[in-house]
Amino acid sequence: MEFLGSMLIQIGIFTILATSFNLIIGYGGLMSIAHPIFFALGAYGSALATLTTGVPVPIGIMLGAGLATLASVAISLPSLRVSGDYLVIASVGFQLGVLQIIKNSEWTGGPGGLSNIPPLIDTTGPAAIWSYVAIVALAAIATILAVRRLVGGDLGRAITAMRDDEEAFSALGHDAMRLKILLFAFGSGLAGLAGGLYGHYFLFVTPEQFEVLYSAAMLTMVVVGGIRTVWGPALGAVLLQLLPSAINFLKLPSSVTGPLQGIIFTTLVLVFMFARPQGLLGRAPGAQVVAEEDDPLEVRVK
Amino acid sequence: MFDRGILLQVLWTSIAAASFQVLLTIAFALVLKVTKIWNFAQPALMGVAFYTLFVAVNWVGAPIPAAILIAFLVTAAFGFAIERFAFQTLRERGSESITFFIFTLIFAQLVIYVLTLAFTTEPVFLFANMMSPTTLVGGVVVSAWDVSSIIVAVVLTLALLVFLRYTRLGQYMIAVADNADLAEAYGISKRQSYAAAMVIAALFITAAMYLFGSKLAVFPELTLHMMIFAVVATILGGIDRIFPAALAAVGISLLQQLSVLVIDSRWQPLIVFSVLFVAIIFFPRGIRLPARRVVGDGRTGVGTAEAT
Repeated sequence: MEFLGSMLIQIGIFTILATSFNLIIGYGGLMSIAHPIFFALGAYGSALATLTTGVPVPIGIMLGAGLATLASVAISLPSLRVSGDYLVIASVGFQLGVLQIIKNSEWTGGPGGLSNIPPLIDTTGPAAIWSYVAIVALAAIATILAVRRLVGGDLGRAITAMRDDEEAFSALGHDAMRLKILLFAFGSGLAGLAGGLYGHYFLFVTPEQFEVLYSAAMLTMVVVGGIRTVWGPALGAVLLQLLPSAINFLKLPSSVTGPLQGIIFTTLVLVFMFARPQGLLGRAPGAQVVAEEDDPLEVRVK
Repeated sequence: MFDRGILLQVLWTSIAAASFQVLLTIAFALVLKVTKIWNFAQPALMGVAFYTLFVAVNWVGAPIPAAILIAFLVTAAFGFAIERFAFQTLRERGSESITFFIFTLIFAQLVIYVLTLAFTTEPVFLFANMMSPTTLVGGVVVSAWDVSSIIVAVVLTLALLVFLRYTRLGQYMIAVADNADLAEAYGISKRQSYAAAMVIAALFITAAMYLFGSKLAVFPELTLHMMIFAVVATILGGIDRIFPAALAAVGISLLQQLSVLVIDSRWQPLIVFSVLFVAIIFFPRGIRLPARRVVGDGRTGVGTAEAT
């Protein structure tokens, strides 16, 4: 039962991560691979806040999410000023640089990470686990609904217009850079929130949980589920939590399991990119492309 | 403040250490210039080049020149396959830049995972004996590796310069880099130029990984970290400018090596990331010298001397 609870919690956390990543990379068309580091900033920020200052855990989680949001603005502001291409470069540099700091600093616990992180629910047993499942599920559903609302209304139309033709969008008097930074900050803040929820459930965080290669898993969830679909990343998160669990049943050595999972994740992305670029929930090429007033983004499939 | 001998030593070591970074930067900048793709799949090619060398030298027992040739052929085949089967397909589909980005990144990660599965995360050296004979020149320790690395980097860089300026294919590549559609209208094959860029990049990558692997240990994920240096140098040099990017690589290497005099070595990798942000904020179009005024008949305006 504990295993099932843990898996559901991870699915919920990865749903938040994948949905927020889809907002940035899919809807926003912003190239970044730094999502794992915003997840890390949320986890470390919240853990450090609660461990060192003793603030209540929910406040710590909010602080962690705030830290991730601030950091995202700090990297997107200078890079987007130049061009979208620079965001990906800045994100790669930021990801590796922050990991370097985390690994080498004493206050982050160095390579060993932080342990004894206070739990969000201060009791043990099945009731605590299922309460946590409920909290994470609520957060995941709230994230999906927030993104759906964001991309479905007037703002959604603006995001689509900006992504498809930034020059025309700017020529109409809109501030594309501001919109991009807002999207990036919102998505990164959600990743920070997921990090906080992660840290206060597993009660320890280490740098290796947030390595660059982790971004492959997130991209897989988005691409396999369906980029620019509201529910696709959630489906991707479910599949990508079940798949490693299936591999674990093979009882392979950990030196094989890790790379094998990575190979499966990345191969899935490549297969979907070339064979079914719209993902599992996206519309097939040549499908109905008539604009719908209430869901304009669904027409973007080419 | 610092001993002159130490400074000279650090300076020499920096220049020698920059050799493989220069080669990797040129490979990255060349592909970007000709294909307009930020080739984040370069770590995959780096990994393939190094581990092919490793297998050829340590498992097969091939002589070094043969091992280098095999590694180049395998890496070039990989590069060609990426261009032919992935980039070309995506181009024909009219894919957005984000699709290229996802592909290159995921492909690099796939290859890193495959190499990790095959060779583990354990760092490995190319040769059992990593010692290189040294001589003392004016108080500076100069190793055979230093000299050979610098020579390889200089020769390959000059060869590329000559190739791009004086050979037909090189000129075609520059034409495609400047305006691919116009070049094609003049009968120049874009595909040939794109493929050539990937194959030449493979040559530079193989040489770089041989130099790196004959001095330092490599593990699969390291290639991803090494690529950042090339990316930063490419930005600092000014995108679309291959040889200034190579000079930027030397500059960053100098900065990185000199930093050991003032900061703890564990923070040395952060120098590259710091330079990256400085470059993005202050030199997003690269560090450029003021344009030279063209002295002529008065009808011409201001010209630049940039050829590649």
